[in-house]
Amino acid sequence: MVNNSWEIIHIPGKPPFSPTQQPTVDVFASIVDPKHANTLIRKLNKIAPFENLRHVKRVRKSCSNGKAELSMILCLTGEDGTELGSMPMDLLELTNCYQLSPFVTQVCKYAATTKEEWEEQCKLWPTSFHPPTYNIEGITGFSEENSTRIFNYMNFALKLAKSAGDQFVNAAVIVDPSLNKIITSACDEISSWNMHLDGHESHSLDVVEATTSHDDANGCALLKSNLNGSFNVPKSSSSRISCLNPWQWSHQHLSSSSSCFWHPLRHAAMVAIEYAAARDRRLFPTMEESDEKYVPLDPNVTSASAVGLPAKRQKTKLANVKNGDDISADGFLSKSERPYLCTGCDIYLAWEPCAMCAMALVHQRIKRIFYAFPNPHTGALGTVYRLQGEKSLNHHYAVFQVILHNEALASVEESITVEKGE
Amino acid sequence: MMDLVESGVPLDSDAFMELAIQEAKGALDRLEVPVGCVIVENKKVIASGSNRTNETRNATRHAEMEAIDGLLQQWQRDGLSESEVAKRISECVLYVTCEPCIMCASALSYLGLKEVYYGCRNEKFGGCGSVLSLHATSCTPSNNAGIAGFKCFGGLRASEAVSLFQIFYERGNPNAPRPHRAVVHP
Repeated sequence: MVNNSWEIIHIPGKPPFSPTQQPTVDVFASIVDPKHANTLIRKLNKIAPFENLRHVKRVRKSCSNGKAELSMILCLTGEDGTELGSMPMDLLELTNCYQLSPFVTQVCKYAATTKEEWEEQCKLWPTSFHPPTYNIEGITGFSEENSTRIFNYMNFALKLAKSAGDQFVNAAVIVDPSLNKIITSACDEISSWNMHLDGHESHSLDVVEATTSHDDANGCALLKSNLNGSFNVPKSSSSRISCLNPWQWSHQHLSSSSSCFWHPLRHAAMVAIEYAAARDRRLFPTMEESDEKYVPLDPNVTSASAVGLPAKRQKTKLANVKNGDDISADGFLSKSERPYLCTGCDIYLAWEPCAMCAMALVHQRIKRIFYAFPNPHTGALGTVYRLQGEKSLNHHYAVFQVILHNEALASVEESITVEKGE
Repeated sequence: MMDLVESGVPLDSDAFMELAIQEAKGALDRLEVPVGCVIVENKKVIASGSNRTNETRNATRHAEMEAIDGLLQQWQRDGLSESEVAKRISECVLYVTCEPCIMCASALSYLGLKEVYYGCRNEKFGGCGSVLSLHATSCTPSNNAGIAGFKCFGGLRASEAVSLFQIFYERGNPNAPRPHRAVVHP
């Protein structure tokens, strides 16, 4: 999405490469006698399965001097190098038994995500290509309307990030995009934690839009953008952005008064998750929580009744409740009817989260993450780590960077200045 | 839980893991994912915790986070400063029944714990070698040079930790969304 003043860029699960420069790994392969092919495949899948190379085809058919030829991948080359002797014993035995003559070749390390990538990959060694079967809204671009909404929510997050006086902090805004409503918002709370639980919530988008000004901004020294589309934050005022400096707490004086706790792990995203969970408990109380004497549910009964409710009905009910219709007469929703964590919600963060926060957002089932500025030292969504591409995780969100150009940043600055002047 | 914290008897690592397993069993009784931990300072248990993600509906309330929160609050009530907390926590050892996830491993690194002993591996989420290696010093960024990771030892009474997971998943997680995929655990 390109706009005069901001862009929304999808940060994919694997580093971007040009199709001709995809990373490769070395493997041992060998020409095989076609009549042994099936036996060999069966044996190889057992002793040397392709754990992280599922996209790579085991067998390649090629033509040599007009004759069809089959080659087969035996295994990855070891860390010790490409010497034949570095092959595992059982593979060496197989090699001797079938009189194979292994050679080293290269295959692409990651599955192709586009047809262009796939075509390039197959020039090295054939791979399979599965175009994405699901699409989180936005990966292929945003409508003008959604793009503006996203910008406005980001704008709101950036103002929170600057709301702590001269010091910048990270800020998090959790939004339910299906209702276009802010669920909760939070800032870093490592230095003062008042043990309040509910956070700030229920801002309508109108509020957000009303504070977005497109007037020319003059003389806002702190927020001038540089070429990377980043806040030009003086080092002295960025030291409290917890995701950027997660190890620094022990050198800081965090407690502002004796009545406040400080906590090095209360990064904005963690606090926002806590607020969202508190809101969930309040809006959707369980029987156990409302009645202290309630006997714990028999787990068998619970799961049996829950299974009976299809997921679609859950969604419909949820929308009704959140639209402001009050919870049904008896005041309770069964476990299968209430929202599951932050499923379906987006989060807006000023800075790219660290690994702790990024993993917390996996746990809480966030659908999409939008951040404005990369986190060069500990960023876990593309800069240092890339959790959205870790296949083993049980949930995957889509990640976007909202890049603000001069005009958009200026409008954020302007609205901050206006509010502070009031 | 408090009994365990207050008793503070010096024990060896197998016995500390036994206490973590007891914590995990407590979580299992509360229909939570059965993971438990204890934090040990000078061979004494000073904090303990177990998973509370279902109860709180906050999926970040892992055993480690529960124990850390309790400890930080206690130390602040005792009047410890930031630097005093940092110094004491750098002498602390965590015993946890399952390899810390990426979130908890990061948290332990930020806090600067000395050592972590875990039971079974966490193939899907593990932050101490399984998926990422956040405990390793080489992974801390260059501008934070001098910040040590923590030493990590796995496999302590792993089969007992796994058998708790088996009991949990055979019962079914009452809070998981329905329908959901069969849960595969380490």
